[in-house]
Formats: sequence, C-alpha cells, structure tokens
Amino acid sequence: MKKTTFFALTLSAAFFCVATAFAADLPQKIVIGNPEALSGTHAKAGEQAIGGVKAIIKWVNTVNGGVKVGGKKLPLEYKYYDCESKKEAVTSLLERLITSDKVHFILAPYSSPLTLAGAPVAEKYGILYMDHGGASDKIFTQGFRYAVQTIGPGSRYHVGTLDMLKKKDPAAKRLALAYKDDEFARSVMDGAEAHAKKLGYEIIFKRTYPATVNDLTPLLSDLKASKPDIVIGGGHLADGQLFTQQMADLGINPKALSLVAAVTIPAFQTALKGKADGVMGPSHWEYGVTFSKEKARKAGQVWIGPSQDEFVKLFKDAIGRDLRPEYHAAEAGAAVLSLVLAVEKAASLDSDKVRAAMGDLKFTSFYGGWAIDKTGKQVGHDMIDAQWQNGKLVIVGPEAASTGALLYPKPTVK
Amino acid sequence: MKGASRYLPSIPVLLAYAALFGFGLLNPGKWQLVAQLAFYCALGQAFNLFMGMTGYVDFGYVAFLGIGTYGMAISISGLADKGLGLGVIGIGLILSVVFAVLLALAVGAVALRLRGAYFAIATIGVNEGFRYLIEGARIWNGSEGIIFSSHLRELVGREAAMSLSTFWADVMVFGVAVIATVLTIGYMRSKIGYALAALRMDEDAAKVMGINVTRFKIIAFITSAALAGLLGATAWAVKLTYVYPADVFGIHYTVEAIIIVLLGGAGTLLGPIVGGLIYGVSKYYLAVYLPGFQLLVFAPVIVAVIVLFPEGTVGMIKRKLLGTALEKYIL
Amino acid sequence: MILEQLAGNLLQGVVLGTVYGMATMGLSLIFGVLKVVNVGHGAFIMVGAFTSFAVFEYLGLSPVFAIPVAFGIGMALGMIFYYSSIRRLLKGPELASLLATFSFGVILEEGIKFLFTSDFRGFNWDLGKIDMGFTVLPYAKVAACLGSVAIAVLLYLWFNKTRAGMAMRSVVEDGVGARVCGVNVDWMYALSFSLGIGLTVASGVLLTMFVSVGIHPYMGGEYTLKAFVVAVLGGLASPYGAFFGGLVFGLLENGSYTLFAQIPGLEPFAMTRFFSFLILLLILLLRPTGLLKAK
Repeated sequence: MKKTTFFALTLSAAFFCVATAFAADLPQKIVIGNPEALSGTHAKAGEQAIGGVKAIIKWVNTVNGGVKVGGKKLPLEYKYYDCESKKEAVTSLLERLITSDKVHFILAPYSSPLTLAGAPVAEKYGILYMDHGGASDKIFTQGFRYAVQTIGPGSRYHVGTLDMLKKKDPAAKRLALAYKDDEFARSVMDGAEAHAKKLGYEIIFKRTYPATVNDLTPLLSDLKASKPDIVIGGGHLADGQLFTQQMADLGINPKALSLVAAVTIPAFQTALKGKADGVMGPSHWEYGVTFSKEKARKAGQVWIGPSQDEFVKLFKDAIGRDLRPEYHAAEAGAAVLSLVLAVEKAASLDSDKVRAAMGDLKFTSFYGGWAIDKTGKQVGHDMIDAQWQNGKLVIVGPEAASTGALLYPKPTVK
Repeated sequence: MKGASRYLPSIPVLLAYAALFGFGLLNPGKWQLVAQLAFYCALGQAFNLFMGMTGYVDFGYVAFLGIGTYGMAISISGLADKGLGLGVIGIGLILSVVFAVLLALAVGAVALRLRGAYFAIATIGVNEGFRYLIEGARIWNGSEGIIFSSHLRELVGREAAMSLSTFWADVMVFGVAVIATVLTIGYMRSKIGYALAALRMDEDAAKVMGINVTRFKIIAFITSAALAGLLGATAWAVKLTYVYPADVFGIHYTVEAIIIVLLGGAGTLLGPIVGGLIYGVSKYYLAVYLPGFQLLVFAPVIVAVIVLFPEGTVGMIKRKLLGTALEKYIL
Repeated sequence: MILEQLAGNLLQGVVLGTVYGMATMGLSLIFGVLKVVNVGHGAFIMVGAFTSFAVFEYLGLSPVFAIPVAFGIGMALGMIFYYSSIRRLLKGPELASLLATFSFGVILEEGIKFLFTSDFRGFNWDLGKIDMGFTVLPYAKVAACLGSVAIAVLLYLWFNKTRAGMAMRSVVEDGVGARVCGVNVDWMYALSFSLGIGLTVASGVLLTMFVSVGIHPYMGGEYTLKAFVVAVLGGLASPYGAFFGGLVFGLLENGSYTLFAQIPGLEPFAMTRFFSFLILLLILLLRPTGLLKAK
C-alpha cells in the first residue's frame, strides 16, 4: 500500500473511533425521575401531578419536538415510583432513580415533609430537585443548592384575597382566622395575619383545629359569637368541606368566606351544592385563567407550553379518563416547562449549569408566571382567587386573570 | 446451658447485619435501600425486646421514636451556634434516650398495670394524647415542627452535614440494631428472660411463684423504649433533618413494627432481621413495579401469614432444626 | 356569654355523643363476646358512610333507607371475615387478631379507594334546622341522634327478648355452661362478630346524617381512636356501656372546648383531644371496667 493511502486510512479510522466514542457518550433522551406518592395521604395530589407531568412531556416531545441541547433535540422520558406518602421510602426510591435508573433530574414528591425528606439525598448527588408540591417557606431557608420551587409559598396564599376584599369593602374590619393546625396552614395563617394587620383589619378570632377533625361545632360556635365580617381559613380538602357545611348548619353568614385548598376542587361544589355559593378560595391555578401566548407576547414575556385547553386534553389522555386537572397537575407540568427552558438556556444536562440557568429564568405559561429568587423559592407566580357562583367556578382575582366579578357579600345560606 | 455457648445465637444475627452493611458499602448506589432495610430490622429488634419477651403489644410504640426524634432535633437546633461541632450529636443521642426513658416511666406507671387489650388501648391513648398535647400546648413549635437542616450545616459544615444525613445516620441505625440484638440475647439468657418467659406463659402463676413480674416488665419496657428513642434520633432526626408531630407519631409505624416481628417470628432473636428484610425488600419492589397497590397486596398477605404461619419464619425454622446441630445457633 | 356557649356546646355534645355511642356499640359487642379488639373499626364506619353516599347519589333515597342496607353489608362482611380468619385466631395470641382486624381495615380502605377513587365525597340532606338562641341544631343531626337511640333500643330488645340474643349473653357469661345447654357457641361467635360489624357499618350511615361531607376512604382512622376512648369509658365489654360512654364523651369533648378556650396560649381543639385521651388513661387506671357497674 502506498504510504499516503495507509496514512489516510489510519486517520479516518481514528477519527471514526473518536466520533463513535463521543456519540456513545451523548444521551439519547432526558429522563426525569419522581418518587411520587401514589397511595396514602397524598394519593390524590400525586395522581394529579403525574398526569400533569405526562401531559407536558407529551407536549414537549410532540409539539416542541423535544428539548434542544448539544445541537440535537432530545425527547423527555418519565420514571416514577410510589413512596406511599412515607418518608422512609422517599430516600431509597430517590437513590434508585439516580443510581440505577440514571435519571437526569428529579421531581420531588408532593408535600413539604416528603420534599424535605428527599432533599439531603438530592444534595449529595448534586441533582436538580424540583419542588412542585411543597409550599413551606422553610424549605428554602435550609441552604439546599439544588432545590427549586414551582408552587407558591404558603405565606402568600391569602395575601391577594385580603387585598381584593379590602378594596371591595374598606368598611369591613372584623376578620376571623380559623385554620387547620399543620405547618402549611399555619404558614398561610401567619402570612395572612401579618398582611391583614398592615391593611388595618381587626383580628377578632384566631384559632386552629386538628388535622383529622370530624366536628367543628365548638370552634364555629365560638366564631359565631365573635361576629366576624370576613372569615378566612381552612387547611385541606376534607376540613374545607366540613367547615362550609357546619357554618351553614350553625347559621353563620359572614360577608366573605375564603378557604384554602378545598374550595376550588369540583368535588366541593358537588358535595355542598347551594351551600358552596359565594365561597372563595385561593389557588395556584384554575381552569379558566386567561394566560395566553398572545397576552404574553404583548407584554414582552417569554411563553412556553400548551394553551390551557390543550393542557386539559393532554391531561385527560395521560390519565386515561375524564378527570379535570387541578392545580396539582398544573404546577407539576409547569415545573417540567421550567426545566425545558433551563436546559435549553444552559445547553447542558449538568444539574449545576441547569440550576444556575434557572436562577434568572422568567417565563409565562398556561400556569401563569414563573421566576425564582436565589434560594430557589418561587416569587414570580401569583395566587388567583376563585369563587363559586351559581354552581360555576369564577375567577374573581387578580383582575388580570379574572373571568368575572366578585360576588359580595356572600349569599346568606338558610 | 453454660458459658459462651449460650450466646451462640447472636452470631447469625450479627453476621446478617454485617453482610447487609457490607453489601451497602460495596454498592454505594444502593445505600439508601440498605439504610431503609436496616431501619426496619432495627425497629423490629427494638420492638421485639419488649413485645417478644412479654407478649404485650404496645400499640403506642411510635411515641418513643417520636420523642427521640424531638430530643435530637432540639439539640441540633438549640445548640447549633455554640461551636460544639459533632458533640451536639452525642448530646442529642443522650437527650433522646433520656426523653424516651421518662416517657416510658410515665406510660409504664399507667399501662403496665393492665393486660392484653387494655394495655394496647392504654398505649394508643398515650401516643395520641402526647401528640395532641404537643400540638395543643404548642410545645416545641407545636404542629409546625422543627426543620433543622440549616442548623446542622451551621454546626458541622455543609459537607459533613450531607455526609451525616446520607451515610452516618444510617451507620448509627445499624449500631442501634446491634445494640438491640446484644441486649435482647443478654436479657433472654439472664434472670429477666426467664422471668418474662414465665410471665408470658401465665402471668398469675408467675406472680404466685414469687417472681417480681412488675420489675422485669418495667426493665424490658424501658429498654425497648430507649432503643426506639435512639432510632428516632438517628433514622428520623439526623437523616431527614426535620420533625413534625403528625409525622413522627403516626400509628402505622407501630403496625409496621408488629408486622416485621410477626413475619420473622415474635420472641425470636433472628426474627426481626428476617422480618425486616422480607418486609423492606417486598415494599421496595412493590413500590417500583406496582405503584399504588402496595397496601392492597400487603394486607391480605399479612392476614394469610397470621392465620397460616403464626410463629413466623424463624419460628418455623426453629421447629425444623430441633434436634439438629444447628439448633443452638437459632434463637 | 360563656355559659351560653357552654350550654350550646353541651347540647351539641349530647347529640354527637349518641352517634359516637352507637358507633362504638359494635366494637364493645365484639370484644365482649370474642375478646377481640377490632382495630379496623373506623374502616367499617367508612364503608357505612360510602353506602349512605351511594344510596343518596345513585338511588336518590334518603340515608334512612341506607341504614338497613349498610347493616346487611356489615353482616355479610362480618361473616366473611369471621369464617376466613378470625375463627382460627381466637385461641391464639391477641396480637394475631389485632393485626388481622387491622388488615381487614386496610383491605376495605384500598378496596373502596379502588371503587370510588380517593376523591372527597359528600351530599346534601337538608331538612332545615331549629334555632334555639344559644345554638342552632339542624334537623338532620336530630335525626341521627334519634336513629342512634332507636338502634340501641332495638339491640336491647334483641338481647333480652329473643332466643338468639339470650343465647349470646349466655356465651359471654359462661361459655362452657352455654355449650352444655346446647348453644352452638361457634355459631354464636360468628353471629356476634357479624352483628358487631353490622352495627358498625350502620353507624357510618348515621354519622353521615350528622356530617354529610368529607367522605373518603381514609376517614376511618380518626373514628377508631375515638371509639377506643368511648368504649373504655363505658366498659370495653358492654354495648350499652358504649352508648352511655358516647354521651359522656360527647359532653366532655365539647364542654372542655369552652374551658380550654379561656386559657390563653393554648389551642383549645387539640387540647380537647389530649383531654379525652387523658380521661381514657385515668379510667383505665382507676376503673378499667368502665364508669357503669359491670354488666
């Protein structure tokens, strides 16, 4: 063989080897891991979250063509296990996702305690840890470097509500606070109390009730005696329904009632029918919010993701039945969207780089705004207030997202 | 039996723990799973010390885990800025044991006078009552609990804190399991063991024979409680760096302990580790392959085990090995 | 003002107490006859609650009609559980039957979750209410109270006037003697267990008459704990004691709220819970056979 041919062949062979070696290193897909709660206390929220994630992943892979990184568009994949809402299971399942399944990023399980349980392991492996269901402010005062929050912090839940009510009726001064006794509800209560004082409300009643309550009569009798104008409170699904029902039973009719977490779920109205009318609740997201690509473009904001209706359809397909997505689904989906933008911005799958890219990421989606502060806490997303009016859920605040006017005062229940 | 051969049954147990530990070290990517299994084994071992020897079911056992968690949590969050470093962990462990023992004395004063179902109910009462006291009187932050990850970092630095939570806490859990094993066989082979065995068979007869039944019950009860306190301090406090009352007083942990002991064989030495491994591994794989259905699968299995194998796995093995040379290794 | 509050709370407590009492009768019956503590108690109540919901939603009938349906379901469940496992565990250690009943509870919870999903259900059974000045009492709650009393009376009649009832009492008092008299003790055990479960499931319906929202698969645990306190108050082995215990419990829980609300720095609701368990411990310590004299 001639010297030059030999040389050329060797060179091409070497080049070929190097090229394939590099190609083998590039991942073919991006995997998101999630040790979610599919049974136990958080079963419902977990199911919703998984549906939301699946819906958005479908959108990313089909409509968006994947996530652009390293000159290619890679599809997203999703791997999840059931931690049974138990903290001991979170750490082992999380580790399995990281070390055996080799996922690139993690979605934390729903709820603040479970999110906290997995955080040290995520920190150890230096992997991005997306908090979609833990609203506790305290998660972000611990110094975790890889945790980012999509859900809004608890302390802000009733802030917008109070602003709205104050504007509507500045004369109504007597405020009653009645919250469930757990870390989340208490953080809402503390935030509400501080803000109420700033607005000039007089707090004439402040009590909490245990989580597994089945009769609120003593507390509500006490509340009735203090003659409040406005009542805010709540905690989670079951007690919200109980609260409203028993307020009606005892004939308590304040000018406004706003409860956390329970009100905006469709089951609330189905169970309470007429008694639900006029009851309000803050939420991260409800179907009917008017965030859209056009509005975002006009306001000069970055938009990503499906439209609201598209999301609902994708969610129903993902769940396999005609179930309405609730905010748990939306916030989980939004977390995935934030990941897509961050990965593309960082042009890398390395958690450190992606986390850094998330730091100054700002965008709008069907879920609303998104931006985090340097601890990872969510600061770009506003709560919305929704109210049942004649059997329909109307978004009454903030004005930019509203679909109807606030019904005030709350209709009296006979 | 005389001499060291009395303690032979501890060998299989300690070997098993060593094997589990070794497996974890060799497979760092599976350490959390190993940690979870170690937790279940330690839980079973600690619970079995009282329940196995006396036959009494303390349905409120988790209260001791809970108060142990608080002991460590208070130490870390309260002493974080005093510059004591790792010493705070030691203080936390001591405080956990002290708390657990105090609670055990209080519980014991009421509950240990009772028997059977009454005892079970009294212990549930203590567990729930204590939890509501914490929430109602806002003790230790009430329902808001204590989150002390940042305090731990302040105490020993970021790297060490991570290492504590993801590795050393679990090593300590192994330690608790080993201590529990040693204490169990120590008790079983001593006066306490014989007294409690007599009690388990017929409490009244034992009393008539002049055995100070109450004293030995209390000793076993307090030991078991102290171990639970240590377990809470390590597996829950140091590892997870937070404590909420609703979380650490959950009755399902007691139920898990009972299941583990039952699966393995109540009153046996090897039982808890066998039960813990079976339970932990099954749960893990169910979580992976059948998410959402674990309980539906587990519950009938438990019923089947209770009805068909009431003596548990090790109980069955013991029976089979009766009369053979291996007999003296299984207790 | 405080007296008014107290009076209101006490009245509500009596009404609630009768329902609690009735809900616990099954537990006491099972313990009295079989010496088995049904740790899955709350799950059976939950089944009753779902029965009431289903009857209302899908058949459009008031919960009153759900009571016999629930009772029937309860008896069927009781028979199944008894013959499949409890029977064999009666001679064994207590632990076994405790765990078995707990597992039944879990199976029911998961089964209902599978059928109905973990959504929170509720319905609206509005009969109006009486405003008594110091408190307001919906008629639905009154109906629940009357229903509980009625069932308790029926049970009394059954125990004292029917052959099966008297046979059951004989088994409690003297198992061997009963056998000698020709009573089929095994069948009595089965019947007692099923009757107890039947009562428990039926009480779930009454509970929904009291509070008709918040029905979901995991609602039972709360009621199991309360039932233990009530049962101990009344004497663990006596169904009538349970009824009486329920009344006392309702009074204590609601009345103590007013008391605790006066002390600053406390959360009265959680403290009433603590108080009820404190009472539990005191009773166990001082009068384990309950506040009534032994039956």
